[in-house]
Amino acid sequence: MSPYAEAVLLQVGINVLLALGYWIAVSTGKYSFGHAAFMAIGAYAASMLTLNFAWPLPVAMLVAAVVAAVAGAVIGWMALRLSLLYLAIITFIFGQLVELLFAQWDYVGGATGMIGMTGTTLTLVYSSIAVVVVYLVLLTRSRLGLAYAAIREDERAATASGLRITRIAVGAFAASAAVTGVAGALAAHQLMIITPSLFGPQQALLIILYCVLGGVQYFWGAAVGAIVLSVLPIWFEWLNDWYMIVYGLLFVVLMIVRPQGLIGRSERSGGGPLLRRLRRDGAVAVEREREPVG
Amino acid sequence: MSPLAELLRVTAVTKRFQGVEALADIDLAVQEGTVHGVVGPNGAGKTTLLNVMSGYVRPDAGRIELAGRDITRLTPQLRVPLGLVRTFQNIRLYGGLTVLENVLLGQHTRARTGLRSLWPFPTPQERALRAEAEAALELFELAPYRSRRAAELPYGLQKQLEMARAMAARPRVLLLDEPAAGMTTDGRHALVERLHELRGQGLTIVVVEHDMDVIAKVCDHVTVLNFGRTLTEGPPAVVLAGDEVRTAYLGT
Repeated sequence: MSPYAEAVLLQVGINVLLALGYWIAVSTGKYSFGHAAFMAIGAYAASMLTLNFAWPLPVAMLVAAVVAAVAGAVIGWMALRLSLLYLAIITFIFGQLVELLFAQWDYVGGATGMIGMTGTTLTLVYSSIAVVVVYLVLLTRSRLGLAYAAIREDERAATASGLRITRIAVGAFAASAAVTGVAGALAAHQLMIITPSLFGPQQALLIILYCVLGGVQYFWGAAVGAIVLSVLPIWFEWLNDWYMIVYGLLFVVLMIVRPQGLIGRSERSGGGPLLRRLRRDGAVAVEREREPVG
Repeated sequence: MSPLAELLRVTAVTKRFQGVEALADIDLAVQEGTVHGVVGPNGAGKTTLLNVMSGYVRPDAGRIELAGRDITRLTPQLRVPLGLVRTFQNIRLYGGLTVLENVLLGQHTRARTGLRSLWPFPTPQERALRAEAEAALELFELAPYRSRRAAELPYGLQKQLEMARAMAARPRVLLLDEPAAGMTTDGRHALVERLHELRGQGLTIVVVEHDMDVIAKVCDHVTVLNFGRTLTEGPPAVVLAGDEVRTAYLGT
């Protein structure tokens, strides 16, 4: 395989991992705007271990997963009880904060970052994906996955079924952060150089776009989104600076034509939230009519 | 416990919303195995009382006890495993999930639901719960819609599904918020029959309802609220015929 093809496959694989990780959080209906921070945490944690302590990368990846999961749990514990708007703001600020912290921390090179990490192989990337996919297949078939869906659908109903929402959502957020941290570790050891600014708002936005473009209904929709968004820039290379404009247009068109993403059922014909809302309103109307009667 | 023990007890509960007393010093005792109706005109505090019982509203004063245990400070989630389960006036289903999945979620507190539930081979307990969920679909006449999304069901079946989901938690006390609202005459007949059936199985039920016909047919005991106070209480035949109720509803 040519080095070029290998680089592309590594990049695509890491992005798929990012999308799958993000999907775990999204499956509970919670959107984070700072997931790049977990990537940074994983990248730096693993790089410290491989560079300064000569740990093997696979072990460093596991540590990256744990550290990112703890960070995810802490942030989740603070933010997941609040409304989605606050969750968005807090995760976004958290992303900025992490970027700033790494930029100020001399031990990890400050703004110039760390250099010299190697060891990311196709085997490592794709076996990580395999592990995550097995986890996700089991998750979506399990009662835990069902609980995630319940929280996404209706939190009030979920409390009435006895679901401990915060606990469940924090668990999902931590798992999501762990996978994202592993992706960060792999990315660092492919790029060889990392700086805090690599894990800024643009990267956070990209992760969201993978999921939204692919569709959040099924985890493989998010994976498809990541593949498409990783390959498109390569196809559109001849557009040079224009490719961001083409990109933007593509998104606008997609959001109009397929708001549910590339993969997934249409909400419009299937009787999704819109129809449900109509029904609920209908129910309320009937009650209003009845109420004066007593 | 003797069959007429107090299963759910509300003592001196007060709740104000921005100075308005929604509930003022309410006492209420629900005997085990009975159907207890709560009636009253709009704004009487019926739904607030149900919200206090189920934990969605925390009272300013007073206490709630379930089988002698003080549950006043427990969140709704923690009341479910103790056997206190409710439905909602406006129906709250997991609309995007299937009918079966809705019932499975009703079993949440009885099942293994953490990371261990990922294990692909169902435990005997899980298999029993799944069989029970299928049986519940039969019982509530939802079996033909098993794999349909809940939001696609007609209104009456959605109400039935909500009750099936509540029953899947194996409640000791079922709190129903306006179960007959929006139902057709046939639907109301079916509801009355179902409540009789559940009562026959020993379930304790608290029902907030506007439909006096339903109340008269299913309740053993009725509490009438007006302006957040207990107006009167007793057997439905006595209470519903009394002057207080007519005054509360008609204002004269």
